Amino acid sequence: MTDEITPELFEHLVDLAAFAFNPEEAEYLRRELNKQLKAIQQLEAVPLDGDIPLASHGVPYTKQSRPDLRSDTWQPCENPEEILEQAPQVEDGYIIVPDIPHTKLD
Amino acid sequence: MTDYETVIGLETHIQLNTTTKIFCGCKADSWEEPPNTNICPVCTGLPGVLPVLNKAAVHKGALLAAAMHSEIRLTSFFDRKNYFYPDLPKGYQISQYDMAIGKGGFMDLPMPDGDTRRINIEKLHLEEDAGKTKYEHGRRYIDFNRCGVPLVEMVTGPDLRSADEAAQYLIRLRQLLRWLGVSEANMEKGHLRCDANVSIREVGSTELNTKTEIKNVNSIEAVRAAINKEIDRQTALVDSGGRVEAWTLDWDDAHNRLNKMRSKETEADYRYFREPDLLSLELTESWREKVVAELPELPLARRARFETEYDLPEYDADILTGDKPLSEYFEAAVEAYAGDPKVVSNWIMNEILRMLNDLGVSADALTLKPEHLASVLKMVDEGKINSATGKSLLVKVQDSGKAPDVIVREEGLAQVSDDSALLAVIEKILSKNPEEVGSYRDGKTGLFGWFMGQVMRETRGKADPQLTRELLQKQLDGE
Amino acid sequence: MTIIDQSAYAIAKKVRSGELSAVEVLETALERIAAVDGRPGSLDGGSNPEDESKVHAFITLTKDRARKQAESVDARIKAGEDAGPLAGVPVTVKDIFCVRGTPSTAASRILANFTAPYTATPVSRLEGAGAVTLGKVNLDEFTYGSSTESSAFQPSTRNPWETNRVPGGSSGGSTASVAAGEAPLSLGTDTAGSIRQPAAFCGVVGLKPTYGRVSRYGLIAFGSSLDCPGPIARDVRDTALMLSVMAGADPHDSTAAAVPVPDYMASLEKGVKGLRIGLSPDYMQITFPDPETGEIERQTLPKEIREATLRAAEVLADQGAEIVEDIPMPNTVYGIPVYFVVSRVEAASNLHRFDGVKYGYRAASDYRDLREMYRVTRAEGFGLQPKLRILMGMYVSAAQYSEQYYARALRVRSLIRADFEAAFDPDGEYRVDALLTPTTPTTAFKLADIYGDSVLMQYADQLTVPANHAGIPGISIPGGIDADGLPIGVQLLAPDFKEETLFQIGHTFESATADDAWRKIKPQVLRED
Repeated sequence: MTDEITPELFEHLVDLAAFAFNPEEAEYLRRELNKQLKAIQQLEAVPLDGDIPLASHGVPYTKQSRPDLRSDTWQPCENPEEILEQAPQVEDGYIIVPDIPHTKLD
Repeated sequence: MTDYETVIGLETHIQLNTTTKIFCGCKADSWEEPPNTNICPVCTGLPGVLPVLNKAAVHKGALLAAAMHSEIRLTSFFDRKNYFYPDLPKGYQISQYDMAIGKGGFMDLPMPDGDTRRINIEKLHLEEDAGKTKYEHGRRYIDFNRCGVPLVEMVTGPDLRSADEAAQYLIRLRQLLRWLGVSEANMEKGHLRCDANVSIREVGSTELNTKTEIKNVNSIEAVRAAINKEIDRQTALVDSGGRVEAWTLDWDDAHNRLNKMRSKETEADYRYFREPDLLSLELTESWREKVVAELPELPLARRARFETEYDLPEYDADILTGDKPLSEYFEAAVEAYAGDPKVVSNWIMNEILRMLNDLGVSADALTLKPEHLASVLKMVDEGKINSATGKSLLVKVQDSGKAPDVIVREEGLAQVSDDSALLAVIEKILSKNPEEVGSYRDGKTGLFGWFMGQVMRETRGKADPQLTRELLQKQLDGE
Repeated sequence: MTIIDQSAYAIAKKVRSGELSAVEVLETALERIAAVDGRPGSLDGGSNPEDESKVHAFITLTKDRARKQAESVDARIKAGEDAGPLAGVPVTVKDIFCVRGTPSTAASRILANFTAPYTATPVSRLEGAGAVTLGKVNLDEFTYGSSTESSAFQPSTRNPWETNRVPGGSSGGSTASVAAGEAPLSLGTDTAGSIRQPAAFCGVVGLKPTYGRVSRYGLIAFGSSLDCPGPIARDVRDTALMLSVMAGADPHDSTAAAVPVPDYMASLEKGVKGLRIGLSPDYMQITFPDPETGEIERQTLPKEIREATLRAAEVLADQGAEIVEDIPMPNTVYGIPVYFVVSRVEAASNLHRFDGVKYGYRAASDYRDLREMYRVTRAEGFGLQPKLRILMGMYVSAAQYSEQYYARALRVRSLIRADFEAAFDPDGEYRVDALLTPTTPTTAFKLADIYGDSVLMQYADQLTVPANHAGIPGISIPGGIDADGLPIGVQLLAPDFKEETLFQIGHTFESATADDAWRKIKPQVLRED
């Protein structure tokens, strides 16, 4: 089960991550990832019984320690304009981005 | 020519009518608001923010699950669905993947032939809505007001067999959602959104062939039209030796046609994993029992009961159970009237429904209460007023808020049923219109109606029609 | 002693009593910063020979804002009001926290122009208690690293003990600012050891609280199931004081536990009589993967670090603790491999939102379409370390590999947790109240020594990361100075929500070693020579 990240697979990951690299950067990153994988592959040797649970959090939450769900009461944000101010391009209150071209066939 | 069967599955997104969004305290309904005003750091995915689950969204989701005969899981999980899209500010949607709040479920859909078909529910889960995008001049305009509104996604199995059935399912679903009070379910406002998966196969086959997905259908009629168009397209394609490909199609309502959408660049790998910013959703057995107990009598069950309990035809029962307030109105009126429920049904299906349409309200908002209707019906039964007066009286009650008998008294609407008074009016009219009397007696019996009209006019509508008819007949026949 | 070198506890007391004004205190902090910090990190930093003797803890010094806060504290004192337990105490904040109206950059180009419209809960609690925020201090970009070198804001922070060495990371700016006496307190974050490791390198106290003890609202996320905001100070009492202000549930954070906050200050003087403190051979070794084969090689700890740890055990034994040896923690060695997987999956997802659409950097070039805008923005906005983490995260959570890597790592995480549960189990064989370990496998290394090697850099966290996986609290306290004049940190680990045990033991050790010669040695930047 030793997978190595090939250049093709690397390109696929770059795609998933919405990146773009020049060849030098790509090669450096791919090499470092494969080195990290060697460390990760240590995990394959760990004996795992069927019933060892997946730990999404380390600390278990009990009925007492979990906070209550939020009640359905309106809490308006005091400064929504400040949020909009952070956007790179705004017009008439809308955030503007370039379009994704649609190919209309038929 | 091969005979094909259509296989349709529907994926619906239902906007819950909670006060606030699913993970933050912004309003869930911002239909009227200017863009990017109903926002906060959480629903705009600012760095450092965290989701906090709305308990009302859980409650409404559970109620819907119960109504769809889905098992409400006592432990369910939220998961991240990762992908890039400008109206998805975090770059992932918080949804539920494999351990959702609802497990299984079905809707028994009444078919036109009187049977029911069980439509299975394969997915029923909670998730957050994305923002809205407008396209103009090669740019996208993004509004996050809607981002984070609570949704229930419900996916049926491939159990529907025609565009009409799909439309029926949506009609019944919409009815149920409003009945339960979990969603306004207005398709034009996006409270109920539908994507249709359509494929065809030879009659008798049990295999599932490649399906296409139709998106952007914003009304029940659009669903019907789009599916029919697609069935035609696939049929023609397969008949001519072609192969259906897994396209995503966009319904263009303005031009009544389907357009192929650009397929997603790569088969999207959403890399689902448990949402670490939320704990598991833990529900107790007693809470679940309470939710199930909270379920009202559902529309189809109530329809069936109206048929048996009130001896009504299915047609009536279906209309009367169109929405919950109307059905409650009917029952309250029947109880107050204590007479033939069919009479009540007729008056509601005609007069009350028309009124509701004109006013654009639901039955529980009427000033004209069920007891008022019952009272009017009783007065007609007793002959105190005639039925035409009764109908106009309903409007007067609605407009003025006064009780029917008060209005009858104040406006002197009581029916004229006094023989001598009527006779006097009739004699007056006959004497004023000798030519018409002559024509009638010469054979133009059609003029009878005209004479009736004259009497009604003279009595300002209050003449007892039955009695008038008798007396007028006698007079015209020359006693 | 100059005001700014006093403890937060002492400063707050004097400000509350009127002996000192908050503005006065602020002035001394600003003087110290001017004397030792040099220029703050910036995007077009470049390099400069003058940089070499300065600390460069800051990215943004918020002088005016701090002044207003200090004035407001003084006004409240004057009006006879309670200005809070941290009245007038200067604090630096790791620039991974959103603070409204300040640049909140995560030390990344992609957020360099982002001004936060809201304030993180830990910061607002500190400010609500009267603390004065001096500004935002430097870190590894998005907290990805153990040396602060990966910051896009250069020059990155240098170790005040020896300025040609790293302060550690990712909370390097935080620990350096405290070690250099710029502020008595700093707010950092610990995801694999990012508070404890730099605290050890800089000779200060750093606490990773239990996961969920302090709200993460406003903390720009890296590993959502691992991140812990925590206090950094020069002594245990100040650390406890700072935690007591920040800890507790928060309606903005569903993972902030509804566990009552004990009186931490009350636990300080309890002493260690009767406490059982464990030592584990699995923590007294270091492991590194062979760069070719990936095989794990075990090495002994550097002698002085080992000695400092054992000496701490002796001191505590002298004070009445029972030292329990040979506690097996066999899954410690998997801490880094699990971390490589779990943290990357969460990081990759957490960084999806940086797409140039709503805030932060958007590439200036003429792109054809949205997809290209994403790519160029992210390629130009992110540094190397985020890119590595995102790509690895994509890989190990991709549909085909997720079961093999991510699911497996989450299971091994359970085993790591189980080691601690066995050690702490009151009905178990060892029944310890805490574990005593070294904090780091080495002392502060030189700048640029390790940076290019991502695996070696990550392994700097091998002794601290298990606590993040398990969620338990851990503290690093100064345990000595080595022959090269560099600080050595010793670590204590305790069960869930038992920070008071850490304070109890730490404070006892501090008091018992208060007169040790090594405690008189000052960092290079504070020496009078």
